[in-house]
Amino acid sequence: MTVLYVVLPLALLVVAGAVVAFGWTVRSGQLDDVDTPPRRILFDD
Amino acid sequence: MTASLAIVQACTHCGLPVPGGRDSDFCCAGCEVVYSAIAEHGLAKFYALRETAQPAHTTGRTYSELDDAAYQSLHVSRDAANDAHTALYLEDLRCTACVWLVEATPRCIAGVREMRVDFGRSRVDVTWDPERTTLSAIARHLDRIGHAVHPYRGLDRDAQRRREDRALLLKLGVAGAAVGNLMLLAIALYAGLFGGMTSRDTTFFRWASMAVAVPALGFAATPMFRTALGALRARRLHLDLPLSIGILAGLTWGSANVIRGVGEIYFDSLSMLVFLLLVARWIVLRHQRRAASAAELLLALTPRRARRCRDGQIEEVPIEAICVQDLVEVRAGETIPVDGSVARGVSTLDSGLLTGESRPVEVTIGTAVHAGTLNLTAPLVIVATSVGEHTRVGALVNQIEALSAKKASIERLVDRIAGRFVAVVTIAAALTFIGWAIAGAPMAGAEHAMALLIVTCPCALALATPLAVTVALGRAARRGILIKGADALERLATPGTMFVDKTGTLTQGKLAVVSWHGDVDARELAAAVEAGSAHPIARALAAAATPTAPATDVHEELGQGIRGTVRGRRVLVGAPIWVRNQCKLDRGEIDRWISAVARNPQTPIAIAIDGVVVAVAGLADPVREDARAAIADLASIGWRIHILSGDDARVVESVGWQLAVSPSRCIGEVPPELKLSIVESERARRPVAMVGDGVNDAAAIAAATCGIAVSGAAEAAIEAADVYLRDPSIGAIAATARGATRTLATIRRSLELSLAYNLIAGSLAIAGVIHPLIAALLMPASSLTVLANSLRSRAFRGNS
Repeated sequence: MTVLYVVLPLALLVVAGAVVAFGWTVRSGQLDDVDTPPRRILFDD
Repeated sequence: MTASLAIVQACTHCGLPVPGGRDSDFCCAGCEVVYSAIAEHGLAKFYALRETAQPAHTTGRTYSELDDAAYQSLHVSRDAANDAHTALYLEDLRCTACVWLVEATPRCIAGVREMRVDFGRSRVDVTWDPERTTLSAIARHLDRIGHAVHPYRGLDRDAQRRREDRALLLKLGVAGAAVGNLMLLAIALYAGLFGGMTSRDTTFFRWASMAVAVPALGFAATPMFRTALGALRARRLHLDLPLSIGILAGLTWGSANVIRGVGEIYFDSLSMLVFLLLVARWIVLRHQRRAASAAELLLALTPRRARRCRDGQIEEVPIEAICVQDLVEVRAGETIPVDGSVARGVSTLDSGLLTGESRPVEVTIGTAVHAGTLNLTAPLVIVATSVGEHTRVGALVNQIEALSAKKASIERLVDRIAGRFVAVVTIAAALTFIGWAIAGAPMAGAEHAMALLIVTCPCALALATPLAVTVALGRAARRGILIKGADALERLATPGTMFVDKTGTLTQGKLAVVSWHGDVDARELAAAVEAGSAHPIARALAAAATPTAPATDVHEELGQGIRGTVRGRRVLVGAPIWVRNQCKLDRGEIDRWISAVARNPQTPIAIAIDGVVVAVAGLADPVREDARAAIADLASIGWRIHILSGDDARVVESVGWQLAVSPSRCIGEVPPELKLSIVESERARRPVAMVGDGVNDAAAIAAATCGIAVSGAAEAAIEAADVYLRDPSIGAIAATARGATRTLATIRRSLELSLAYNLIAGSLAIAGVIHPLIAALLMPASSLTVLANSLRSRAFRGNS
């Protein structure tokens, strides 16, 4: 089970990366308005 | 008579039936304007996209104030390419098709660069080239396609709110990531507990859990720590205090156990708890934002304008620019902007919003008039005697602001319980530790005391009430009831005395023919003569019958009556004295009719045909059909109804009689100042709700425990109220009160459930028999029970 000692920290690093990416989407305002974009995809022009 | 087959034609724009007698493809002028605006720009795809069809509203305003330099310097910004940017509120933004139609504006107006709609906030961000078009032209276009425009005043507040929203969302994301990974680690640990795991691996997993949990939860739970600290400093109790104690105790004790290498770690349950709490908070925040923008839209009225006459010329100026002794022109249908006296013209005023008087008042040269009254029939020129906050309405508004600022926030039910909860749990924890220490096991005592603090962490409680309140407020908002926050809901759920203003709430708020004595055929002739007049009495008579022939030679005598010719017959309609003076013949029963009508009390109107008085109509403001049932409904949940009105005392008593409200509880002819003192003295005894719509009610609304403003209310009344109803009837008020009571009942049930759970878990923890796995299962189980209870609440659902 010694592989855990390598894989677990790696997995946590991946999680940290995901959290940082989420932080970027929030800060760049992509999640400010979640009501209009799902409507906007219905316009085909 | 020719038989005709009735074909119900549907309006081309909104699909509602076109009223009989209207030779058109549309049900109203609004729909016709909107349809032609859409069609002329080739945007007919709108009809394929839309989800709901509703009649359109256009105001036809010019929006010229949007081009003012003063407005532009405040609200419009320029970018490097010299394009202008601003934000506007849009009314009636309903579905995808509306979004599409608004965003298609650049195709209709040259010079508009971009329109970006924010559907949730009813807001549009406009970018345009000021060289090629004007903001007023854009606003006029939006108005024509059915979205009336208001300036968006909350830009600074919006930026502040956006920062808060983003911060909370980030914490939610971090807590989510932590909970997922801690669960995986916990599953490994629990599996190891039963399946056998080397102690080296166990220690590694425990340290990994701590490495994830301590920074993640320390960051994600900061909102709770901050409110708990703030509440402590203000020496008040808040639900976040026991939560923070639980979270901090769990983190510290869990970390201590990781370092010691023995004992329970609570990271998985704790992270789940923090995550659920943040989810609940986020949902609540989103609902609050929506309710807040709806309320702001009501108040975001464009700056008011007045027409000043100077040196024979009329110019449109902001209302603040009017000085004492200025002459102001007020056209029919406009609100008088200043206190003053009439200099030119004769007209009829509706002072309902200012004084509560339901009957129109006739004014002529020299009559004193007040700001806030509505000019109904003819243009007037008024000499201003006082302006701005020195007017009667201005003084009332100042008083309302002072009263609203004084209104103390009530201590919420949950916080009251949280206070006792903290006391009980900390004492129990201390006793547990002392008890075990006396028995000779201080280490085990510390462990069990910590377990108690963690296991009784009132997460179900913190989750249940905001969700129950949010569910209730959301459902209420969909039914046209705007409740400004949880406090207002709790206030409304405590029955006491309810003062109801008569106009518009118990009655329909407009005159109608309620009795008719004499020749029935005269109805149609009277309706024909009155068809073209704007006087409220004329509107009532015109609505009472459908004329079959048009009237000619119509001549209106202000304050007296109207004459005209229909199918060769001379028709005279008006005040009985005026009509009788011009008639050769008079029937004997006329006096009896008039006194019968006046006794009821209704306004008598005489109708004469070819010089003979043939009928007397009684006009009054009829009682709403649902009012009696609604009052009985309110009484059944414990409210005592009183009628408090500025209208004539006999009228108020008659309305009370029709609704079975005892005469001792009907007070008429109450000036605004007295309304306020009646409400204040009653509030000293029991909770008071005040329902009203006028400026005259606003001070009383602000002073009441729970103020309710109804549709069509004056701006000041809406601002002072805790609850705003789009539907003005008393039926909607009964539904709101019942919904609030039900919501509070749901909350109480949730609290009982969660306290019962805490009692059981707490005693197990004190005895030291709680198994970590049971604790891990019990925690989410209790939250889910309470959540299910909140969501299945019947408050504000259907016909509740």
